[in-house]
Amino acid sequence: MAELLINDKQHNIDVEESMPLLWAIRDVIGYTGTKFGCGIGLCGSCSIHIDGEVTRSCVTPISAANGKSITTIEGLANGDKLHPVQQAWVESDVPQCGYCQSGQIMAAVALLAQNPNPTEQEIKDKMINYCRCGTYLQIFAAVKKAAELQGNVA
Amino acid sequence: MSNITNISLTRRKFLGVSAASAGIFIIGMSLPLGKYANAATNKNDVLNAFIAIKQDGSVIFQNPFIEMGQGTYTSIPAIVAEELDIEMSVISVVHAPHGSDYKIMFNNTTRFTGGSMSVRMSYDTMRKAGATARAMLIQAAANQWHVAASACSTVPGYVVHDKSGKKLSYGELAAIAATLQAPAEVTLKDPAQFRLIGKPVKRTDSYAKATGQAEFGIDVKTEGMLIAAVKQSPVFGGSVKSFDKAAVMNMPGVFAVEEIANGVAVIADYFWHAKTALEKLPIEFNDGSNAEFSSAGYLKTLQEKLDDQGISAEDIGDVDQALANASKTLNAEYHVPFLAHATMEPQNCMALVEQDHCIVWAPNQGADTIAQLAAQITGLSLDAIEVKTPFLGGGFGRRFIPDYAAQAITLANKHQGKAIKVIWTREEDTQHDHYRPMTAAKYRAGFDDNGKITALHITTAGEGPLKRHLPGFLANPDIDNSIIEGAYEQPYAIPNKRMDLVSVPVAPIPIGFWRSVGNSQNSFFKESFMDEMAHATNTDPVDFRRQLLATEPRFKKVLDTVVNMAGWRGKPWLAEDNTQHAMGVALQLSFGTIVAEIAEVSFSDGNIQVHKVWCAVDCGLAVNPAIVKMQMESGIAFGLSAANAEEITIEQGKVMQANFYNYPIISPDKMPDIDVQIINSGEALGGIGEPGTPPIAPAVCNALFTLTGKRIRSLPLSKHSFS
Repeated sequence: MAELLINDKQHNIDVEESMPLLWAIRDVIGYTGTKFGCGIGLCGSCSIHIDGEVTRSCVTPISAANGKSITTIEGLANGDKLHPVQQAWVESDVPQCGYCQSGQIMAAVALLAQNPNPTEQEIKDKMINYCRCGTYLQIFAAVKKAAELQGNVA
Repeated sequence: MSNITNISLTRRKFLGVSAASAGIFIIGMSLPLGKYANAATNKNDVLNAFIAIKQDGSVIFQNPFIEMGQGTYTSIPAIVAEELDIEMSVISVVHAPHGSDYKIMFNNTTRFTGGSMSVRMSYDTMRKAGATARAMLIQAAANQWHVAASACSTVPGYVVHDKSGKKLSYGELAAIAATLQAPAEVTLKDPAQFRLIGKPVKRTDSYAKATGQAEFGIDVKTEGMLIAAVKQSPVFGGSVKSFDKAAVMNMPGVFAVEEIANGVAVIADYFWHAKTALEKLPIEFNDGSNAEFSSAGYLKTLQEKLDDQGISAEDIGDVDQALANASKTLNAEYHVPFLAHATMEPQNCMALVEQDHCIVWAPNQGADTIAQLAAQITGLSLDAIEVKTPFLGGGFGRRFIPDYAAQAITLANKHQGKAIKVIWTREEDTQHDHYRPMTAAKYRAGFDDNGKITALHITTAGEGPLKRHLPGFLANPDIDNSIIEGAYEQPYAIPNKRMDLVSVPVAPIPIGFWRSVGNSQNSFFKESFMDEMAHATNTDPVDFRRQLLATEPRFKKVLDTVVNMAGWRGKPWLAEDNTQHAMGVALQLSFGTIVAEIAEVSFSDGNIQVHKVWCAVDCGLAVNPAIVKMQMESGIAFGLSAANAEEITIEQGKVMQANFYNYPIISPDKMPDIDVQIINSGEALGGIGEPGTPPIAPAVCNALFTLTGKRIRSLPLSKHSFS
């Protein structure tokens, strides 16, 4: 039995603690916005936050989240009000196939939480998830836009 | 914001909505006349159902084309919305089910999503669909008001009586309109009045994809669903010898272990349990007859065949004579490796088989192919098969070939009443793709005393995917265009030219359609050789092409546009970052669209960096210029990714790559800045999803030649060293 706090909600699940968080979140609990891409922590499609830190959930066991708070893409919006990063993504029409974009958005939210007004280079250094559609330029621009929407850019 | 859902309604259900809640207006319309009509089969009698209007004025649009990133869930409904005169915000896009009602391609004989065909093959149909519905709504209002239809017009969502200013909403009129006969002829809008076509209409799927709500195949859920992991024979064509089911049946969550066509599936409650048990499952494979196959050996065979006669796909003038008479000749051999699609969403499919019904939730590029497969496996009739198409986490041609769906349907057929979802690991996905075929080519050119090109002889060796998968599309069964397209019938004015194909079957290796198909290699070969010819005759590569395009103003304009955008420089220069930079250019006609690209490249500390790409594109009319621009960026990223480091190698019949660590797709730090300029020439519509890909590899390699003096005649670049 494992206890997980996901998007401020407590979930008690009956699976072994060695199961990666990705599969616990997707299959056991049913939040499917977090994606499976490579299974070895390389592509970043499975990015979530554990206590605000961006984490690749496909290689992170349930046990690593004991007593911690998990946020997934489903937990970013406040009711109907999108997170500024999501708002920037929608306004800029960033997604193409969209499969990697939950992970991209989670990475961007974590980046802006630590560095509200990143330079272009800082954005490129932190936004390292793969996108097979090649939306990278749109991702970089949308992070900048999200920083503006958050009101952190002078 | 637009609603978006992935639920495919069956025709029965789509029409059923109308019966259940009066007031929903389903527009049944004749298939379009003109070039899509098929007199032979009287298809004009069949009604299509694309558009439904609800009482609240919202519109459900059944899209015959899948959304895999290329923008069909925006561009196609926008064409309908333009003529129907509604706002994009009232449209919900759903995927159309399988069946003849939605076969609107190639004289209403087929329907798939690929070949960069969706917009250009449905533009007329979709305009007519919207215009027909609008005409019926106007007639319904005119009947209510006892006025002539000609006295009425529309504003988005409403019919207006021009004189009195009376208005009725489409929602109010839907039920009445549904009782009217569809007009045989409708007048289409004057393009000068377009407010959506040709405009950067916002995507309908961004909200769903930015909130995690977009449902991909891998996300599909149903009550009591089970999940399967599969292990297929590592050697292509191999089979299962034995496996010890008992060894894993007691592992957590395991429900069943089943043999499938070329491997074994473990079915469990959750994917992790299925995968963990599969890794513990003792399996032995028979390697079969292909355990000696290697990509290196195949390449050698291809190269040996390049002096064979071949079959001519194009033969203009007398190449042999012209080469014999040439005062100077130039020869070069090129080759490219097998490539994987590496969609971010690994292959997956869910199926449920019940006594008289089968539902398949399949990310696919052809719903009818999935339906036929399901009918074949289950023995049910096509009417009993429901295909639900979710969003695709990338397609690029991979999901034309439904091997993954066959597995899910087979397992579900064995365990009737249980929905079973098959999910491939990244490793299975990499090692059981249908690859862009390895290809080799030899280019020979002849020049006269003035250095003017007199002859071009191309020989290509390999096997294309079209004959294997869609032989009906071949005009000549001996010439598989899918391996030579983009090498011939190109615009350069060369008096004697010949394109020969030497077929070298690559069976047992699975090959398929990879974004831009034959153009992906042939643009690299041809445009590299154009550059070689330019340098061999001491001509600037842009001038060299311009001279051969003197009678092709449309191509010349695309080339000139990109040259102006980039401020073309034919020689290397010391850039602001204190390294040498150089430019390379390439031009390609593919899928009816002309694209020219210039790449600015540097090389320092062993690192090739593409800094900037300028791209000029003429696709006739950019139906959605924002999406055209994004598809150019995406196509360039895809082509650059392959040129940089993608390569599938095969040894002892097995693929040697497994995951992104040894099949590296382009990372964000390798992404160049890109400027795109669209030329609306007004010529026939061309495709957009693929044409951005072909020119980037030669543009980069041509820049590298200018920079380093080293000519790249094979890819990927990661295999070459520069000094």
